[in-house]
Amino acid sequence: MRLIIRDDKRQTSLWVAEYIVRRINDFRPSKDRPFVLGLPTGSSPEQVYANLVDFYKKGKVSFKHVVTFNMDEYVGIPTSHPQSYHSFMFKHLFQHVDIPPSQIHIPSLENYKDYDNMIAKYGGIELFLCGVGSDGHIAFNEPGSSLSSKTRIKTLTKETVIANARFFDGDVNAVPKSAVTVGVKTVADAREVVLIADGRGKAEAVKQAVEGSISHTWTVTALQMHPRFIMVVDDAATEELKVKTVKYFRDIESEGSSEDKIKSKL
Amino acid sequence: MENTRPTRTQSQPGDKIIRFTNCLTPIDNKLLPSTIYVNSTTGLIISPQDLFYDSKLSASSTVDLGGRILVPGFIDVQINGAYGFDFSDASKDDDAYAAGLRDVNQRLVSTGVTSYCPTITSQKNAVYKMALPHLGPSKRDASLGCSSLGGHVEGPFLNPERNGIHPLHVLQTPKDGLKSLETVYGKDNMNQNIKMITLAPELLPPAALPSLSSILASKNIILSAGHSTATFSQLVSSNINMVTHLFNAMHQPHQREPGIPGAVLADVSKPRYFGIIADGVHVHPANIRWAWQSNPTGLCLVTDAMSLLGLPDGEYEWGNGESIIKTGGLLTLKGTNKIAGSCVTLAECLNNFMRFTGIGIAEAVKTVTATPARMLGLEGVKGGLGVGADADLCVLDMQSDGSVVVDEVWKFGQKVWEKERVRARRPGVVELSRL
Repeated sequence: MRLIIRDDKRQTSLWVAEYIVRRINDFRPSKDRPFVLGLPTGSSPEQVYANLVDFYKKGKVSFKHVVTFNMDEYVGIPTSHPQSYHSFMFKHLFQHVDIPPSQIHIPSLENYKDYDNMIAKYGGIELFLCGVGSDGHIAFNEPGSSLSSKTRIKTLTKETVIANARFFDGDVNAVPKSAVTVGVKTVADAREVVLIADGRGKAEAVKQAVEGSISHTWTVTALQMHPRFIMVVDDAATEELKVKTVKYFRDIESEGSSEDKIKSKL
Repeated sequence: MENTRPTRTQSQPGDKIIRFTNCLTPIDNKLLPSTIYVNSTTGLIISPQDLFYDSKLSASSTVDLGGRILVPGFIDVQINGAYGFDFSDASKDDDAYAAGLRDVNQRLVSTGVTSYCPTITSQKNAVYKMALPHLGPSKRDASLGCSSLGGHVEGPFLNPERNGIHPLHVLQTPKDGLKSLETVYGKDNMNQNIKMITLAPELLPPAALPSLSSILASKNIILSAGHSTATFSQLVSSNINMVTHLFNAMHQPHQREPGIPGAVLADVSKPRYFGIIADGVHVHPANIRWAWQSNPTGLCLVTDAMSLLGLPDGEYEWGNGESIIKTGGLLTLKGTNKIAGSCVTLAECLNNFMRFTGIGIAEAVKTVTATPARMLGLEGVKGGLGVGADADLCVLDMQSDGSVVVDEVWKFGQKVWEKERVRARRPGVVELSRL
């Protein structure tokens, strides 16, 4: 894995957006060979999307030949609900860029059984962007989820429901009790995974992801098995890591990754 | 009514989708930059998100409004005619009447009005029977121009003490309640063609009023008190929630008897609406300001315009053998100084209203859009820019003095009128091409 540490969220968001833009452009996507991108929602990626929109408006990237698969969506609220992930994606990304509506995928009660198949039909996900919960969950794969899980319906933990009540006027009863989500394996099957985390609240999850053992109680740890896994975190999110770990990654990433070094020599 | 709503609300491939950008729309009494999506095929304002996810479509064209103001089309619930056509003139045959009405509908959109209640003043019974079948809700067709929302019958059940210029000899007393109304207007007309009835409630037998208003409500007809001597308590104890041209043709507030104005402006037990004529003649600006400050959510601007709207000054014959003198914007009954309706446009009333009250367009525009729509029970359908509303729109240009000019009018998502762009020429400079 790579661990990129930056001072703050502004810098991690910019790093990730620049990285995605470079990956899309290097891929040279076309109508019959689109770039397949996995996408999360939440406060962590919000600024990444703002940067992507900015790059699009400056003409540095196009989403015309990008196909997207979102990670998750609530069950039981209409897609037009302001707190739905449909609304989030439309508000922060889709309405601002040139992506055709037919190339968007968001899991739902109707399509979740076929969701992994749909991804496979596009040749798999090229890059999956994801966040991580403070309890180490990726997508809605909360502690205890199978590390080989695929897209399915999950009941949300009481803790998640209560935490999300702030988005529903503080009304716990208004928060959906279940969600459709990609599985841990759906994320891990992507050819590359980029994970962003920021803030002190994510420090324990970052520690488990980097220094912990693979365990379904911290589902993010499954990504340790991934051959191309990049974590991009801010200073605050490293607070639970060993000083040695931070120093190590700061050192090897200071002049770009070994891969970048080799590339630059070629 | 079957033709007034669209057959579907979801957009489909092949629909013409227009995106209005670079415009300001009224949101929470402020003008804010907005983007509005409209489906010209269904005639509705649509959600860009639903369009994207559910219909998998994008806008087929973009209209850049260059920073101008986009508001809902205006609604006038009291207008007696325009461009020489009088809704109460039943002397023509049906074809001629229909042709005159079509012409008014085509031309009235130029004033920003996209929906209205064509109003018949007090007439003999035969006039209602002849005219009302023409005045029911218009078909859902942008090419027809302005839509009728159903007729407004102002009379003949008016109080002779407050008749204004309604001829006394045609006024009647609704002594049999609902039956009197059915006899005069016709049952069929009451079922489909009438949207509003102005009457003097004190003329009804006391027992008839409660049942009459609930029966009319079940037919979606708005009962409005007007040309009336009703007292404060008479109006407050009735279930009438609308008043026709407030301050005109009623008792004025008295220290011990606040009258209809007191009831509609000071009784807050339930929402009450009122029409008010802001031509600067019918009602003193201070009274308009007072009415606005007392009951802002009930104020509906109306023109009460006569068929002389848009015609030159002079003497004009009015029905029932009387004449009206038009002097600029002022109309008087010949030989008297009685005001005989107005001949201003609703846009002029709106500009007057902003000047009288000092409020901005974002808030003022409600008095010609959202408020009359809510009064008529058409909230969410007319008078708003919310998703699912009819795409009846006005593009306004703000002038340096704060007044607005109607630049474009859209009906069901199609442009039906546009102001001619007069090439600005400096006075005294002859264009080279003319030499």
